[in-house]
Amino acid sequence: MTTTQSTEVPTKAALVPATSPALRIQSAVIKYGFIFVTVTLFAYFALSEPSFRDSATLLDTLRYVSVAAILGLGVTLTMAVGGIDMSVGAVAGLGVTVAAKTMVSYNQVGLVAILAVIAAGALAGLLNALLIVVLKIPDMLATLGTMFVIQGTKLVLVDGQSITPGMTQADGSTAPGKFTEGFLRIDRGTVLGVPVSVLIFGALTVVAWVFLARTRWGRVLYAIGANPEASRLAGIRVGAYRALAYVLSGVLASIGGLILASRIGQGDVSAGTSQLLEAVAVALVGTSVLGRGRPNVWGTALGAVLIGIITTGLTIKGLPYYTQDVVEGAVLILALIFSFTLSKRRTA
Amino acid sequence: MPRTRTRLPRTPLARTRLPFAALSMASASALLLAGCSQSSDASEKAGDSAAPAATATGKKPAPFSEGKVKVALVRQSGAGDYFEQWGNGAKAQAKALGIDLTVYDAQADNAKQATDLSSAINSGAKTIIVDHGFPATIQPEIDKAVKKGIKVVVYDVETTNKSVVSTKQDDASMAQAVLDVMAGELGKDAKVGYVNVAGYAALDKRDSVWKKTADANGWKQAFKVGKVTDSTATDNVPLVSAALTQHSDVAGVFAPYDELAKGTVLAVQNKKLQGKVKVFGADVSNADIQNMTAKDSPWVATAGTDPSAVGAAVVRTAALELAGQLNKTSVEFPAVAITQDFLTSKNIKNMDQLREALPALDLAKVSTADWIPNVAH
Repeated sequence: MTTTQSTEVPTKAALVPATSPALRIQSAVIKYGFIFVTVTLFAYFALSEPSFRDSATLLDTLRYVSVAAILGLGVTLTMAVGGIDMSVGAVAGLGVTVAAKTMVSYNQVGLVAILAVIAAGALAGLLNALLIVVLKIPDMLATLGTMFVIQGTKLVLVDGQSITPGMTQADGSTAPGKFTEGFLRIDRGTVLGVPVSVLIFGALTVVAWVFLARTRWGRVLYAIGANPEASRLAGIRVGAYRALAYVLSGVLASIGGLILASRIGQGDVSAGTSQLLEAVAVALVGTSVLGRGRPNVWGTALGAVLIGIITTGLTIKGLPYYTQDVVEGAVLILALIFSFTLSKRRTA
Repeated sequence: MPRTRTRLPRTPLARTRLPFAALSMASASALLLAGCSQSSDASEKAGDSAAPAATATGKKPAPFSEGKVKVALVRQSGAGDYFEQWGNGAKAQAKALGIDLTVYDAQADNAKQATDLSSAINSGAKTIIVDHGFPATIQPEIDKAVKKGIKVVVYDVETTNKSVVSTKQDDASMAQAVLDVMAGELGKDAKVGYVNVAGYAALDKRDSVWKKTADANGWKQAFKVGKVTDSTATDNVPLVSAALTQHSDVAGVFAPYDELAKGTVLAVQNKKLQGKVKVFGADVSNADIQNMTAKDSPWVATAGTDPSAVGAAVVRTAALELAGQLNKTSVEFPAVAITQDFLTSKNIKNMDQLREALPALDLAKVSTADWIPNVAH
């Protein structure tokens, strides 16, 4: 029965008797191939470009990927239940707008903005859950729909304009507030030299890992993803858990939005849109880490780090952004081959 | 077509505060179209052919005398006709100077531009050129760079840091160049129309030149209309049409931004007033040249800078600053008047041909020295 799949997949690999050396090599390639690629690329850039191995560059790389990584964690949760959240980029963008609106237009303190942004993210997640669980729309289609609605909503909120401190508002008055110092510290501040956004990324990774891999709820999410019907028959409230995954994804996306808002330091109606594909990509790349062949938190985090290494390394090497897209796409495909083709062949 | 080739790619409006929605959509469409638009072909060729550099005679100062110099160019967006040509000019000039230029292109993602700038600071670049960007986003990083002793040159960025060299297109000279043509065509005491919007730094500067020139010539302003939207050109057609219905006897209309000029041209044609009402615009691009040289086009004059020459001049400015020879903190690039007669008589169809026919566009005298090989076009 596939329900047993919800326990660790690698244990299954251990069950396969590694009789022939060829099989053992293949098994190792699948298990460590991704980590090998990451380490090799890292070593290559570090050896050939002195500025790459600077700790400031490395922290910048992590800071750059922190948003895509956190959004990717949300995507990972929804992939665990067999769906996918395509609205994470839009929700992050909504977060930027809500943060700007709260602080600049309504002159509120940073904490109020943070709560408003997270509430907006949870609401967006609930909307996804409503469409998917109650109205039975397929995950990808439903979240694509909400993506458009949310992108439109954030423009409606601000009359299509990016909110800047001191701007003239629709009623002719001048915007009273600005981004508070405390709020700006989310991305611009450091603790012991590490950017706060990187610390948030690390903390959320650990929390999400504990939740997904070490609690009953996490195992239930995987079980639903593996076989919803069997899960239902086993007495699991499938709808409630799927809804939970989307609400958590919305909240994570809004935290990504907080970091973006802090990084940009003003409203920006175009923020977040570029994050969707990277978030999905890191979650997909993550499926190949340690040969698990399924969404997992450490994989997503490492996938984000790999994308960051590629982007930073190739930029320092002087390659234009479109060649980076080619390389990133190739890595994604390679990861998918690890995840699907090779691991299927092995278990077949 | 006029809608997709909107203001972000090549007008000075993009840097101002307001039209971010429009900006993002314009940049998105510019990105989508960059691969297939006719103009991108022309600009690619421009990049390749922009290489022939005049040979420098002077002795290179430090640090240029010591081999390749590392410079970073951090751009808000490199997509679209204007920005592609700007980038090609910058790259060609950097190559001629022996600069190892690293280009960071945020693709209109402002959060990425912040981390790009941060990476550039850590990359060991001696100078960083920042091309456009939100002040709130990049100012803290610019301050960091200055603190680390890196020279910073910005193009079209409002900055509060006194150590930063600020470069921009000279909007006043642009307006003046067109208005001089307009004064020659219409003479004194003419009845004129005006299409402009308040609240954008670039347009406000053009506006003040307009007021002075209109007063000096005794022009009577019959109407002032205009708005900037997501599709400025088409959205201004009804406004200008309505104004022309009431005041069909104006001799000329000043529309100091090419999207406004395009809308005005359409309105004049709708009212069948071409031949009676002359349109005076601003900015220049491949699309604008085609618009001006189309049959019966009422658009008789414009003024602009050559984005490729501007990109090259910004790099020269950065080189001078790094060599300690600039001795000023602001460089403006003057615009050149371009008339319909000139375009048609020389049979000019695009920016490349315009560059050849109008050497004044090449900014060869701006930010240069005997050790700098200017890139010519």
